Amino acid sequence: MASVHCSRGLTVPRSSLRLAPRITPIIAWTAPFSTTPAVSKVAGAPKKAFQVIGRHIRRGKVAQNSKKKPQIVRAKKPQPGQRKAFRKRIQLSNNNAAVVDGLPVLEAETMANKENLCRMVGLPDKLVDQLRALEAFKPTQFWGLFRKPHMLVRTETVSLMERLNEAATQKQTLRTVLTGGKNSGKSLMLLQAMSHGLLNEWVVINIPEAQDLVNANTEYSPIPNSSPLQFFQPAYCLALLQKIAKANGEVLKQYKLSKDYSELQLIHLPEDGTLYDLAAAAKEAEFAWPVVQALWHELTAVPGRPPVLVTIDGLSHLMKQSAYRDPSFHIVHAHDLTLVRLLVDALAGNTAFANGGAVLAGTSRSNAPRSPSMDLALAQVAAEKAGEVAPSPDPYRRDYDARVYEAVRNVDVLEVNGISKLEARAVMEYWAASGVLRSQVNETTVTEKWSLSGHGILGEMERAALENSRL
Amino acid sequence: MKSLTTSARNQQPRTETESEDASAGSLIAGSRKGPFEGVTHVRPMPVSPSYFSREPHFTDSIVRLATLLHRYQNLPVVAPDQERKPQLWKTLLEYRVYSGEPIKALQYSRALSIVKRLHQIDPKLMPAEVKDALVDFEKDIDPFSNVPKPIPVDRFGRAVGVGRRKTSTARAWVVEGTGEVQINGKPLNEAFGRIHDRESAVWALRSTDRVDKYNIWALVEGGGTTGQAEALTLAIAKGLLAHEPALKPILRQAGCITRDPRAVERKKHGHVKARKMPAWVKR
Repeated sequence: MASVHCSRGLTVPRSSLRLAPRITPIIAWTAPFSTTPAVSKVAGAPKKAFQVIGRHIRRGKVAQNSKKKPQIVRAKKPQPGQRKAFRKRIQLSNNNAAVVDGLPVLEAETMANKENLCRMVGLPDKLVDQLRALEAFKPTQFWGLFRKPHMLVRTETVSLMERLNEAATQKQTLRTVLTGGKNSGKSLMLLQAMSHGLLNEWVVINIPEAQDLVNANTEYSPIPNSSPLQFFQPAYCLALLQKIAKANGEVLKQYKLSKDYSELQLIHLPEDGTLYDLAAAAKEAEFAWPVVQALWHELTAVPGRPPVLVTIDGLSHLMKQSAYRDPSFHIVHAHDLTLVRLLVDALAGNTAFANGGAVLAGTSRSNAPRSPSMDLALAQVAAEKAGEVAPSPDPYRRDYDARVYEAVRNVDVLEVNGISKLEARAVMEYWAASGVLRSQVNETTVTEKWSLSGHGILGEMERAALENSRL
Repeated sequence: MKSLTTSARNQQPRTETESEDASAGSLIAGSRKGPFEGVTHVRPMPVSPSYFSREPHFTDSIVRLATLLHRYQNLPVVAPDQERKPQLWKTLLEYRVYSGEPIKALQYSRALSIVKRLHQIDPKLMPAEVKDALVDFEKDIDPFSNVPKPIPVDRFGRAVGVGRRKTSTARAWVVEGTGEVQINGKPLNEAFGRIHDRESAVWALRSTDRVDKYNIWALVEGGGTTGQAEALTLAIAKGLLAHEPALKPILRQAGCITRDPRAVERKKHGHVKARKMPAWVKR
């Protein structure tokens, strides 16, 4: 059983942390049954390092050089989970970095405005808190080198934000999968979309790591009378609700519930409550899934509500068999997990968003299980978009998955790749102003970093330029 | 005995039938030759008077050179500032091997000074016998004729350079451009995981501040990542030199000209690896 709080929540250690019960070893001094004859031990005799069983047989460690005593260094060991918390910590500011003045602060329409192309924009503190609550920042990103978080408005950003605006005004659903090379900024594009949504009073739901849903690290329980048998993940759903409530609280408080949810038997839900009350009402994991369903219904089916933005990172984890087992020990398909089903239905376009919205899913190039059907569907969409001949399935493969193919077949694909030299220059000037890049920023250095990073792959540029300053 | 001729050798060999006929005829005609008729020397005579000296070939050469110098010392020589195809002469050791004679260093240096003086005669007026005499002293191989072929820049503006390191071979097509790099059809970050390798691949451009002036399209094969990256360094440098030959000293200083000859040392028998010996065992 895993705890409610996932590992990223460990950044701030809390006393109320629920730890998994540890199995303490039972130390039995006398074995109840043994096949080897008991060696009689004379009390007070000097303890030997080994036992002499036969003439040539010795058991135990025979010291090669008994005069040399091993040096034992007694350092204080870190507490359980402390190392992981350190590894996964997210540092968003650095007082050693120089303050960069004169950059615009992100507002509702900043990223949809073409005038801001190739500019770095700062994130306001309130937004940073919301994004932190949504776990939008990743420990692999280089936030900790700078005084305040800033991000680049790139061409793809503007086009994506324009489409988000369009979806909101026309009450349509934008369903897009972000593809592109490793380290090219797909997760950051999701973060930008989330920022845009939060600033424009959307309701933002984020799945920061899709693998957490399927790798069987969070508890699950079957939904009775479902066929085929489906499962919900109470702890994850509860944590998700808490995150939604924390990040979108102000928006959710503006909307009253459309109907009576007394059948859910939520004692914390006041009558005539708001959406926030609903999201915050589930205090116990058992009630989390029905509340998620209710909230989802309120957001998507009831008109007059804010648009919804769902972001998923690491999509291919949702497009395969999960690591869960059903009671007959068959592997459970990821789409038979109700929360995953909800997300995948939204991505596939099976869920109508009454108030408009978007489902953005980012693929990953580093932690991505193989999902040939998803790859095929995305390649076909991309080829159609480019006006090329769409690839056909490999007739010699057997691991195609029709459910996955159906889910991804109708999405849109946004390819995120290298940035232009103009954008690279804006980023490098920001680095130089922050004091992390010591070289001059001119055409030569910009091109140098740009080509070293495989034609402007942003993460690789950071590696090439800032790796030395990273802790 | 090649150098010797004998007067006896000049006699006609006689066959049995001839001798019988002759003896028969002589009996009739009475015209029989004596046994040493036409023979001037009893023993074979050496061709050269220096045959019995310590180094007959060399002595002959010196005599010949001295004679030629005496004969042609008034011929005009090339001016010292005049450009001329450089000529290398055999070293003492090489000449010793060539002639098979135990020549002394002082003697050889004296001979060489005559050779060099004769070589200064204007090539247009150089007599054939002098040329002939100098051939013995010329080096067998002419290192000056081993000139690398200049790399052409083709009509599309491409220059292809080849580089090697360890077991890797790289070919790089260098074109004027904007700093795009493709290696085996992949951008730099996919071709090399390590930043260090990426930097060494384009080091020729970086060290000369030309990263934003050229595009690279390269093929690499063999070896590992380090070898491939450093093979690319050389390949790109050579392609770059085709465009800008004046960069050679800078590139040499940056280490982009010289092929690194180090390679894996072979394993030897009796050794565990190239150098490692098996542990000593008592008996």
